[in-house]
Amino acid sequence: MSGFWPILKRELFVLFVTPLAWVLLFVFLLLQGLHFYILVSHFATQPGLAVDGGPVQAFFGQTVLVYLPMLFVCPLLTMRAFAEERRSGTIEALLTAPVGAAGVVLGKYVAVLATYATLWVPTVFYFGLLSRIGEIDWRVVGTGYLGVFLSGATYLAVGIFASALAKSQLVAAMLAFVAVVGMFMLGLGEFVFPPGMVRDLSGYVSVWSAMNELSRGVVDSRRLVFAATATVVALFATVRTVESWRWG
Amino acid sequence: MPIIDVRRLSKWYGPIPAVRDATFHVEAGEVVGFLGPNGAGKSTTLRILTGFMGASSGEVTVAGHDVARDPARVQASLGYMPESCALYPEMRVVEYLSFRAELKRIARSKRKIAVESALRDAGLDDVVARPIANLSKGYRQRVGLADALLGEPPLLILDEPTAGLDPNQMREVRALVKRLRDKHTIFLSTHILSEVEAVCSRAVVIARGRVVADGTLDEIRALSRSSDLIVRAVKKDGRDDAEATRALLAKLPGVQTVDATAAAAAQGATGEPGTFVIRLGPDASSDDVAERVVEALVAANQSVREVRAGKTSLEDVFATLTQDQTRDADVDADSAELHQQGETTT
Repeated sequence: MSGFWPILKRELFVLFVTPLAWVLLFVFLLLQGLHFYILVSHFATQPGLAVDGGPVQAFFGQTVLVYLPMLFVCPLLTMRAFAEERRSGTIEALLTAPVGAAGVVLGKYVAVLATYATLWVPTVFYFGLLSRIGEIDWRVVGTGYLGVFLSGATYLAVGIFASALAKSQLVAAMLAFVAVVGMFMLGLGEFVFPPGMVRDLSGYVSVWSAMNELSRGVVDSRRLVFAATATVVALFATVRTVESWRWG
Repeated sequence: MPIIDVRRLSKWYGPIPAVRDATFHVEAGEVVGFLGPNGAGKSTTLRILTGFMGASSGEVTVAGHDVARDPARVQASLGYMPESCALYPEMRVVEYLSFRAELKRIARSKRKIAVESALRDAGLDDVVARPIANLSKGYRQRVGLADALLGEPPLLILDEPTAGLDPNQMREVRALVKRLRDKHTIFLSTHILSEVEAVCSRAVVIARGRVVADGTLDEIRALSRSSDLIVRAVKKDGRDDAEATRALLAKLPGVQTVDATAAAAAQGATGEPGTFVIRLGPDASSDDVAERVVEALVAANQSVREVRAGKTSLEDVFATLTQDQTRDADVDADSAELHQQGETTT
């Protein structure tokens, strides 16, 4: 784990010193603001509302709008991680310092995860707004955020792995995008495939269902286990990839 | 115990050998040049020494630790400046070095002092707060050097520290290396011979992945296949006939060829009239030949002004040592080219 703290600090420094994080933050909040505006104006015209079908639920699930920024933002956050170090050659100085592959990978991962979480923080403001004109169950808002955090954590781990596989940021971003969209589509399979093993598998990996449940305040431990497993597997694969460069 | 001990090291990139069966060592306190033409396997060897790459076979011990088994220990006891010397452009010099110091696990209390002394040693005091992106190549190289110096590791491994620098910067880096040799063992790679002559006490010569020579600079010079004798003589009556003298000398046993002034100038002879460079035959002893030369000249009524052993330049030795290997390389390259052409035409 040696190297974790300095690398975490440096990665955060780079993300916020270069325009990348700020551009992402700007675009992300623009999309989320639009998203929120559409939802609120939609529900404002609905006379009767179901208990578990309000703007909070729609913000975190049920529509495709919550996934779009996630699917774009995660690959863009992670594309630099290893691809840029390998392209520019800085990886040599990094890996000849007394650091472990696990420390390097986790430092970079936690940095993008923290940045991703930071992107979502300003959206709490929307629920503050809603609470002034209606009732808000903050516990449900909490599980909604838990949902976006879990799916983001998985996508970012996959993105970090993609960045370790590619030597160019663009390829890393595209690889990660294909992978996370692939996972998302596979999850949609639960509505498409006939009942059977494939459908069960789709249901298990479905981010769509996970978000729908969490946005209504339902916390199913299977969803947590899946997110944690996928994250750990992707990060482990990244550590092994970094170690394998010694033999390239 | 040697601080670097490499035994029968080989590294293959797929089917291509980069380092073949290399064995050498560096004792603590030495400044050793790792000399070889471009593509000889220098960087690969250094990358293996620093734990960036694994060896295909062989044993590498650095500072008493096996690189394959305990890379972190090895890395903690050396400062390495990679050839590319790639740095993070978005960081300022002092930020970068502080980051590196933390990465190298220099205790928080000592970090600031370590960074300051590295900045001073590398001559970076006037660019401390500049973003690395705005630095010239020479300054970047110095940042890489400062990074290697952080925490004063006992061993410095520098991969082509003067590559891409202008002559003034080269001189500065060499002066710095000279200053550092009191405190550190230094192993530096280069393809520039004068650099080895300027700063190193010993050299390991590598060509086509094989160690072809290893020793002090004088020992390596002595590897030259035949040494030279420089003779200056003038006729007592003042009527010099260079051609006649040349012919006279060339007939002596043990003499291979005799060159007159022009060639002699290149050998460091004065270039004065009557100077001859005698190349000895492979088995001739220079003392015997010198004796014969003097006798012959005196007999021919000449006064001998100077007889001395010519100093073979390292360039000559280097060319000799790496020549056969280079020829191999050319053949390989040619056949590869032919092969490629074959592919494109079919």
